[in-house]
This record gives sequence, C-alpha cells and structure tokens, in this order.
Amino acid sequence: MSSATSSVSAAGKTGRVPFSFERLRLIAGNTFLEAVRQKLFNFLLLLAVAMVVSAQFFREFNFGSSELKFIADFGFGALVFFGSTLTIATTAQLFFSEIENRTALTLLAKPIWRAEFIFGKWLGVFAVVGVFCAVTIGLLVGLLFYRENAIMSLHPDAFEAGRIVDYAGIFWVGVLQWLKFGVLTAIVLLVASFSNTNLYTVVTGFFVLVICHLQYLARDAYGHMDNLLVKLPVMALSYIFPNFQLFNLADNIGQGDGIAGEVVVRVALYALVYIAAIGGLAVYSFRNREI
Amino acid sequence: MKFDLSLFRTWRTVLIVLVVLVASGVALRPLEQPAWDVVRASQPALKLESIKGALGQGVTVGLLGGFRSIVADFFWLQTNVVWEKNDLPATQTYVHIVTAVDPRPLYFWLNGSRMIAYDMPNWRIQAAGGYDVVPPGVQRRFDEEQSKVAVEYLTEGLGYHPDEALLYIEIANVYLNRLKDSQTASEYYLKAARQPDAPFYAARIYAELLRKLGRNREAYDWLVKLYPTLPKGKDAPYTAVPEVVLERIRELETELAIPQDRTFQQ
Repeated sequence: MSSATSSVSAAGKTGRVPFSFERLRLIAGNTFLEAVRQKLFNFLLLLAVAMVVSAQFFREFNFGSSELKFIADFGFGALVFFGSTLTIATTAQLFFSEIENRTALTLLAKPIWRAEFIFGKWLGVFAVVGVFCAVTIGLLVGLLFYRENAIMSLHPDAFEAGRIVDYAGIFWVGVLQWLKFGVLTAIVLLVASFSNTNLYTVVTGFFVLVICHLQYLARDAYGHMDNLLVKLPVMALSYIFPNFQLFNLADNIGQGDGIAGEVVVRVALYALVYIAAIGGLAVYSFRNREI
Repeated sequence: MKFDLSLFRTWRTVLIVLVVLVASGVALRPLEQPAWDVVRASQPALKLESIKGALGQGVTVGLLGGFRSIVADFFWLQTNVVWEKNDLPATQTYVHIVTAVDPRPLYFWLNGSRMIAYDMPNWRIQAAGGYDVVPPGVQRRFDEEQSKVAVEYLTEGLGYHPDEALLYIEIANVYLNRLKDSQTASEYYLKAARQPDAPFYAARIYAELLRKLGRNREAYDWLVKLYPTLPKGKDAPYTAVPEVVLERIRELETELAIPQDRTFQQ
C-alpha cells in the first residue's frame, strides 16, 4: 500500500498521478475476493465439478465416439459452458455492484486512473475464471487418467503404443479457453462501461458470445457474395467480432501430431491483443461515462 | 434547434469503438488465419440450416458451448425413440439433425442410412396396407425412393470422411441388397477397396460381383493383383484369408480355361 500512497502524494505536486500497478493489483485483489465470496461462483464451480465427475456415469451414453473421447468432450463442454456463464455474470455483477453501492464514486474520487479501475476489474475476474479453469481441467485430467488406467488394465493390447490421452494437449486447451474468457471479460467490461443496468450487460454479453462463436460463418459468407451492399456489412461483422471458434482446439487433441505449438502461440497472441484492444476501448468508453 | 453535444459524444465513442475493433480484426487476420486453417480442418462446420428446426429446443448454447457430441447423442436417442414408433418423417429428420450437429462419428452415418434404406421402405409398405396388398411395382418404387435418400445421405457423409471405406461399402450394400444393382454396387466396392485401411472383404466382394456380372477375366486379374498384397503367416489378421483368394483364383483359372503353364504362381 505504501507505493500507492506515495504516488497519491506525488499527485498533489504534479496534479496527475502516474499509472500504478500497485493500485491495479489492489483493485484486482479486491475484485477477486468479492467474486469468490459470491454464491454464483461457488454454484457454477460446483455444477462444473459435478458435471465432470458425473461424466463417468454417462460413459455408456457414448454412441459415436470412444469412452475417453466422450469424457473429454463432456469435461470441455462443462468448462466452456459454465466458464462463459461465470465470466459474463461475474463481470457484470462486480462492475455494477461498484456503481450501485456507490463505492465506484468513492474510489474514482481518489486519484485513481479509470484504466486502473477497468483493468483491475478485468484482472480480478480473469483470476477467478483461472481458478475455475484450473479446477475443471485438473478434475478432467484426473478422471481421464483414472479411466485410462482402468481401460489399460482391461485391454493392454490397445495400449501397446503407450497412453492415448494427450494430457499436455488438454492443458493447452484449458489455457486457451482461459484466455478466451479473458477476451469475453474485456467485452463484458466494454458493454458495462456504457450500459446502465446489470441485466442489459448480461444479456448483451451472451448475445456477443453467440455472435463471436458464429463469427466464422460471416467470414465464410462474404467471400461468396456478389452484392456489395450485403457483402460489406457482412465483411465488417467478421472483422468487428473476435473468432471464438478459434479457441476450440479440443478436437485437435489426439489427431495427427496433436496441438501444434505454433497454433497455441498464435491463438494466445490473438487473445492477448484483443484483451488489450477491447480493454483499452472499455477504458475510453468508461472515461466518457458520468457516474 | 439546439445541438445536443452529449449525443455527438456518444456517437463519436461508438464510431471509435467500431473503428478500433475493425482495425484490430484486420491487423490480427494474418496472425489468426494459419491457426484458423488448422482448427477448421479438424472440426466440421456446424450446419445451422439443417438444425434450425431443433435450435429452439435450448440446444443453441449447448452446441456453441462445446456440448456438440453430447447434443448429438441426445438427438440419437430421440432418433431411436421415433424409429421405434415407425415414424418416418420424424426419424428421417432426426437422422439428418444428428449428423448435422456432429458429423464426425461414422456410427451415426452408417446406422442412420440403414434406417432410411432398410426400415423405411417396410414402414411405407405397411402404411399402404402391407405386403399382400401393395403391388410389387409400388414396393419397388418405395425401395428405390428410400435407397436414393440413403445414398444421398451417405454421399454427404463422404464429404466429411472422404477416405472412409465403410461409407463406400454401405452405399454398395444399398445398391446390392435393396436395388439389386450389382454393377453400381461393384463400382462402390472397388472405391472402398482402394481406400486406406479398407477391410479385406471389400476387395473380395468386388471380385465376386465381377464374377456375378460375367466379367470373369477382370475378376481373375483383380484377384491375381490382390493376392500378393495380402498379409500371410500366423501373425496376419484372420480376415485377410489369402487361402480363400487363392481358391477363387484357381476356380477362375478353370472357368477361363487358362493353360497350366500360364496359371498364377505364388
């Protein structure tokens, strides 16, 4: 807290405080603590954990794929579905609780950058979602390892070439999904920066999530369009929204050489640039907002 | 009229947000495209056109959220429920929905096509009064119509699995068993036999169909080429049965009256 205090006192001399990572960390830490105390976080975490664990009870349900593939699909489904819900709901709730409880007024009356506020919120939510991803992926890996061992003891011939589950691939898919949630958090903060209600932000967040998942349809479509009046808006749509299907690398696990390192780096960079750009826009929009 | 400055500020913010987002999208496309090509190659596109009738049932978020194979499994259960009721329109719809949701498992394509080609003609005959009432010509028409749908369905499956021998074999079986068209069936068995990891029986059935069509010389040449490629010895898969292929070669040599000095030598 000392560096934050010293930068505040510096403000008295210059009239403007420099950007402080310490204040950013404090806001992020507070956001994180608020989020993990919420019933929603615990509820969604519990649901995701229950879903991953229950995957083994549904293993007879796998019609088209192998048992291990089915468990992996089930686990990734829980991660993506509940992770998206958690990201949107938590971001909106934490942002608007500051506005509705008037704590944002107190906070922003102090020499604090709005960028520190926005990116502090982002970092706090990102950390919460990180815990969620780590627990879900950890459980999924544990369950797959347990079932693979059981199957290995029953059918050793099928595992002559070694284990078939690509655990490193699962880890990287988890990391990339976490980064995708980071982009989603930035998007929700951008919406929240100009929105007046929590509900509007949550609903818009879900709409944007669906659009981002279907963004690739727009980029596929405009290449085949002749009418310029239709083509240009569709083309613009494909550039405005990030492509969330890009993060869905779960299908590459166990195919060919698995998930290539270059692809992971490209997707991670893609997410980081979007987080910076959309986060920056959220700050810009929030600066124009009267609280 | 007074100029509202706050309105201008709002539109300026919206414009700046859109411009930055478009600029980010354009700048990131070269970074994204190679990765997207890799991701796209491994996951077939979601055909919203085929599943839009089912999207209202709360599956949209599930599909986009990563529960694609689970949603397909649920639809497959639903397919079986309507199949047990001999409900042709519903079964045909669900069969298509399942593979539209998740076209990756062969299981759906093979079993879906069997429902269409083998069960549905019987349902239609029963609905029209039964085998004793429906004239053979009409029965034949039902067979042809359903077989056409099944072949189209399997051909769509080949779009997702172009090297899959089992799909070619399934098409061949529809021609052979439902339409009694040995000529077209043989063509599909040949395509199946040429795929990597094709089952050994595809090549043998192709030769048998050639014999059935009276093209013994072609059958003989095919089997002579096939025999050396078959695995032999105690570690060979039992399905390879090279001794059966050799037996057929000898039968054909007799039928074709091939001189002793020109017979196939192992």
